[in-house]
Amino acid sequence: MGRLQGKVAVITGGTSGIGLATAKAFLREGARVVVVGRDQKKVDQAKDLLGERAVAVRADVANLDELDALYARVRDEFQRIDVLFANAGIPGAPLPVDKMTSEAFDAVYATNVRGTFFTVQKALPLLATGASVILTTSIANDFGRANVSAYASSKAAVRSLAQSFAAELIGRGVRVNAISPGGTDTGIIAKRFSPEQVKVVMERLKTTLPLKRLAQPEEIANVAVFLASDESSYVLGAELVADGGVSRFTSVF
Amino acid sequence: MERYEAKRAVIIGGTSGMGLATAKMLLDGGARVLVTGRSQAGLESAQKELAKGGVVVSSDARSLTDIDALAARVKAEFGAFDLLFVNAGFGLFAPLENTTEAIYDEMFNLNAKGAFFAVQKLAPLINRGGSVVLTTSVANVKGMPGLAAYGAAKAALRSFARVFAAELLPREIRVNAVTPGPIDTPILNKAFPAKDVAAQVTEQMRGLNPMKRLGTSEEVAKAVLFLAFDATFTTGAELPVDGGWSQL
Ligand SMILES: NC(=O)c1ccc[n+]([C@@H]2O[C@H](COP(=O)([O-])OP(=O)(O)OC[C@H]3O[C@@H](n4cnc5c(N)ncnc54)[C@H](OP(=O)(O)O)[C@@H]3O)[C@@H](O)[C@H]2O)c1
Ligand SMILES: NC(=O)c1ccc[n+]([C@@H]2O[C@H](COP(=O)([O-])OP(=O)(O)OC[C@H]3O[C@@H](n4cnc5c(N)ncnc54)[C@H](OP(=O)(O)O)[C@@H]3O)[C@@H](O)[C@H]2O)c1
Repeated sequence: MGRLQGKVAVITGGTSGIGLATAKAFLREGARVVVVGRDQKKVDQAKDLLGERAVAVRADVANLDELDALYARVRDEFQRIDVLFANAGIPGAPLPVDKMTSEAFDAVYATNVRGTFFTVQKALPLLATGASVILTTSIANDFGRANVSAYASSKAAVRSLAQSFAAELIGRGVRVNAISPGGTDTGIIAKRFSPEQVKVVMERLKTTLPLKRLAQPEEIANVAVFLASDESSYVLGAELVADGGVSRFTSVF
Repeated sequence: MERYEAKRAVIIGGTSGMGLATAKMLLDGGARVLVTGRSQAGLESAQKELAKGGVVVSSDARSLTDIDALAARVKAEFGAFDLLFVNAGFGLFAPLENTTEAIYDEMFNLNAKGAFFAVQKLAPLINRGGSVVLTTSVANVKGMPGLAAYGAAKAALRSFARVFAAELLPREIRVNAVTPGPIDTPILNKAFPAKDVAAQVTEQMRGLNPMKRLGTSEEVAKAVLFLAFDATFTTGAELPVDGGWSQL
């Protein structure tokens, strides 16, 4: 029997990368899955890929009306949510503090923080007793690194939301936790760099990352399965780090 | 195929509570398991509970001689293995003014030093891709009156997890800590032999916990097995299983 047999899961940012790998893992473990993304083309592709037991919905989590429409659809189709994976997130353009614009800053916060907040708030009427809510933070929220101040701080805010939501929702029997991925191979590098640059970046990662590789999205999905399932029934308000050790030690002295 | 088929695990402090629950789950999942304990009663009851194929070994987790003997036994029994769960531990309650040198040494010998040398002696037998899990405690991150020495020893253990993770990385062995909050195990009655005191402490912990209950040994065991076999990109980390106590 699957570890998520019979559960209804909603995954925002489920049309690519970590969210899509998690949708596959949830399906394999017996859940029914709703994946959400902004780009209709990716929504359609995800639907084709995931098949019968999945529903793919186009919605922007930064838009409250679209969130309402999303949950109306979930209510009609499934009546409830057992697992909410609020995973939609964007890195934004890498900019040093002096080059940051208020538009670029707001864009990151609109999806990562405000989007996550209202993704959870608007799901509340549908969340079943015993439901599990999982937020995606990032190892970036543990570090000081140049050029990612908006992104890193937005994820620190999400980490804090996981704690506040956990305190508020445990009274309804809903658990809230976070996953903090380190560098994950979701095609982000291939998307941002030329093929020659990709080689250089990959070489650099091998020398700087303790495990000498990025995470595969399936490895982050494994963490999501654990937090989604009743196996983590006494885990609350926690942030599970899956970063290959980057944030916890240096591999050279 | 069963979930833990062909896996071999060594559990130091596996004759009771969360160690025993982990051993049972592994056996049910098709793994081979060797557990250690010290008290005769614990060893005997574990023998019965793990009749399905667990190996029960008497070994004092504080004794370096015993740890050497254990390593030899594990080698004879398994050759190499996949999971080392270092879980033996105990907390003596004593406020600062009443903490004798003996209490202090006992806390560090059992919870920190014994664990250190267990990993030193047994890590060479762990397979590439294997894993070590150390049992710390919420007391390592939350100040709790009466638990200064215990909390500090568990904090040392938590620190070992990070450095061991760095040092064992070249062999692709992940090292993580599981951090229990109040868990309903026989430890409570060992710490508070007077029944009414045990009941009172339990009630207090229940009240203070965000989930308003104690956790179960099985809930910790599931987290241990997650760290051991599923969390393939997690090393040097700590997983709290505490009903939110240290997090909210
Ligand atoms: N990859 C890493 O190294 C890494 C490391 C740490 C944390 N993370 C975090 O992990 C999460 C997933 O990232 P990923 O690497 O899997 O990225 P990805 O492959 O780019 O996937 C992001 C997903 O989020 C969706 N999305 C983005 N903004 C949205 C919005 N406003 N409304 C609805 N959906 C939206 C995307 O769909 P559309 O593009 O169609 O909108 C896509 O499905 C993010 O929160 C990210 O910050 C990633
Ligand atoms: N229960 C909780 O609320 C709680 C909370 C936080 C952390 N912890 C930690 O979790 C771990 C497991 O505790 P538990 O609650 O499952 O306790 P338990 O039921 O008392 O089990 C402890 C196990 O460790 C063994 N052990 C203790 N001292 C030993 C020694 N010197 N040599 C060999 N084996 C020894 C015990 O065997 P014997 O009986 O034969 O000694 C038993 O198998 C401990 O490290 C504890 O500090 C527990």
